[in-house]
Amino acid sequence: MENSRRKFLKIASYAIGGTLAAGVAAPIVGLAVHPWLEETVYGTEDFINIGKLDDFPIGVPKKTTITSSKIDAWNIFEGLVMGSVWVVRREDNTLNVFSTNCPHLGCGIDWGADVNQFLCPCHGGVFDVNGRKISGPSPRDLYAFDTKIENNNVLVRYRKFA
Amino acid sequence: MANKFREWIEDRTGLSNFLKVALDEPVHGGAKWSYVFGSGLVFLFILQVVTGIIMAGFYSPSSTSAWGSVYYIQEKTSFGWFVRGLHHFGSSAMIILAIVHMFQVFIFGAYKKPRELNWISGVILLLFLMGFGLTGYLLPWDQKGYWATQVATNIIGTIPIIGDYIKIIHQGGSDYGNFTLTRFYAIHTFLLPISLLFFLFIHILLFRKHGVTPYWKTSEEVLKNRIDPFWPYQIFKDVVFAIGMYAIIAGWVFWNGGAELLAPADPASNFLARPEWYFLFLFELLKYCQGNFLIVGTVIIPTLAVIFLFVLPFIDINPSKYPSKRIPFFSAVFSGLVAVVALTTIAVYHDSHDIHIQHQKEDLEKQAARAMKLAARGIPPQGGTSIFLNDPVFLGEKIFKEGCVGCHKLKGDGGENGPDFTNFGSREWVSGLLKNPKDAKYFKESGVMPPVSLPYESLLDMTEFLLSQSGDLLNKNNDRIESGKDLVLKGNCVICHPFGDKDAKKMAPNLTGYLSETWLKEFIRNPADLKFYGARNKMPGFDKFSERELDALVQYLLTLSRDRILVSEKDGEKRPYLFGLSSPRTMTDFKNSSFVILQTGLETTKRKSM
Repeated sequence: MENSRRKFLKIASYAIGGTLAAGVAAPIVGLAVHPWLEETVYGTEDFINIGKLDDFPIGVPKKTTITSSKIDAWNIFEGLVMGSVWVVRREDNTLNVFSTNCPHLGCGIDWGADVNQFLCPCHGGVFDVNGRKISGPSPRDLYAFDTKIENNNVLVRYRKFA
Repeated sequence: MANKFREWIEDRTGLSNFLKVALDEPVHGGAKWSYVFGSGLVFLFILQVVTGIIMAGFYSPSSTSAWGSVYYIQEKTSFGWFVRGLHHFGSSAMIILAIVHMFQVFIFGAYKKPRELNWISGVILLLFLMGFGLTGYLLPWDQKGYWATQVATNIIGTIPIIGDYIKIIHQGGSDYGNFTLTRFYAIHTFLLPISLLFFLFIHILLFRKHGVTPYWKTSEEVLKNRIDPFWPYQIFKDVVFAIGMYAIIAGWVFWNGGAELLAPADPASNFLARPEWYFLFLFELLKYCQGNFLIVGTVIIPTLAVIFLFVLPFIDINPSKYPSKRIPFFSAVFSGLVAVVALTTIAVYHDSHDIHIQHQKEDLEKQAARAMKLAARGIPPQGGTSIFLNDPVFLGEKIFKEGCVGCHKLKGDGGENGPDFTNFGSREWVSGLLKNPKDAKYFKESGVMPPVSLPYESLLDMTEFLLSQSGDLLNKNNDRIESGKDLVLKGNCVICHPFGDKDAKKMAPNLTGYLSETWLKEFIRNPADLKFYGARNKMPGFDKFSERELDALVQYLLTLSRDRILVSEKDGEKRPYLFGLSSPRTMTDFKNSSFVILQTGLETTKRKSM
């Protein structure tokens, strides 16, 4: 009799204690994994306005800073410089917008006006005006961003390449 | 394999022996429900620790980011509101349970020899709990915490000689700022928990040494023969109690929708400082200790009370545990309890019957709701209050308080030359005006318009129609609008009031678009215009306002009505400026956007990392 009562109390204690622990743990875990469920740091704009089409000369790459706003958890940072891009305007007014980071190891790429090529100062990567790799250690052509032109404004879908 | 591992652990640690000692503690006289309070407190402490630690992973203790981070926990995470609610109401539950525990111990005479130190360590733990409550209240850096804690630190300042020094060290300077938060945070999350754990360890150790103190009538025989091992007999009761408490706290959190978070702390505002409910008695006590006697309420009485608790086991040396043998101590302790309950009740009663305090509370809730809306688009790095900087309603309120309140009364404050603006532009306000323009609330003796002598229902119909012109009316009633339209247009109104053409002039104000934004703006600019009051006008024109100021004022006036959708709740199509004033960059960005579009825009861009 006493033994079975004791056994029952043990099982009941485990069951209730387990329920209680689960009940406490559920919301805690739910909160802890928040960064898996939602992006906490992100830009507020999909396409970022980088200026008027006429600001960019035809055929000559122009380096332009990307300014936008960023949400960082509860904060909004406005007018933040996020990085820069090379903008190449072609004869037909279409645009190529390249990352300024070399696809090799991320060094900043320069435009060599004398040779009409993009040159990486670190390991000697060379790319043509259309971003195609000519020589050097880079595994690929320059990273390019989606662009569109709306009301004569140049919009770039900027993001960081890993 | 598992067995071998267990043996190895056992060999190296002696774990099972330790558990045996911990769990087989004999409970003399049997397990009892009256013993559950102590372990209940341990459970609540663990609950506070786990909820606290997880929130520390989101919280940021600085004057510019504290409110924002708590806002984030509260509004942006999935379970944050619930976890924060558990922590908030859990602290109240701990105070209540600690008091119950103390009274159970007192009534059972469990502080008597040889358990004096047990009691004293318990009193210290209680003081720590109050310290937790005090420091935790400030951390959200909202209006409530900021102003209530000011009172507390100023009380510290009233301690003779050393008070000011302690206060400065405590708040990290002579005024509140970043260091106040970092210090309160360090105390709340490191100093107090470590100290509490230390004394809790002593408290439990002493309890294990001396065992439970049974009900005073329990006979020696029962004590000797009825012995339950702690596990599972007492533990069963403990876990049942713990899960019951958790259910109540969780239910309470759901019922209240989590803990309250007011608008960000604004040092420029004059906030109604109220401490958490368990400190209300001290707060109320201070009302009776004025002038030079302030120190009686802030230092002397609380110190005496604490000293009494500390020395209780040494002055009540009669070994008998029967309450009838301890009447003086029972009366002392219970009169203390009665005094605390009475003071708390008076404080609550007083606040709930003070119309000014009630209005202030309403305003705070409105302000808090608005802060939540504004913060949703991100808080500028200048800190919580900066969300209001570009808020037209906030600016409008300021303009109203500077320029309008001299003549227009609002919620009991202000002049009487013009109509009372309490609930301005609501159904109640307009129908009241129709009923009796000469009423003290409206135009008094200067009211030339005859009262509309129609049944109340018809007045409501007319009101509905008039207000329907300005849009944003809550729960619009189309039937009323139709019949109101007939009453207004086919009745006597149009004899004096022009209707239909916004610029038409007659002897009384043009009611086309009555109380709409345009109407209000034109009216405020020049009420003496012939399409409004003409020669009968008494209000000065405010053409000195810039477009932005006028706009802000009108936005504010629109929020006064309880029958209107709040500016921030609307889709905002007409108000792109709501968020557009902070920088030229955002001006262009947000020119064609609106609150809702912006928000959904954020939703879509959220997933794309930079």
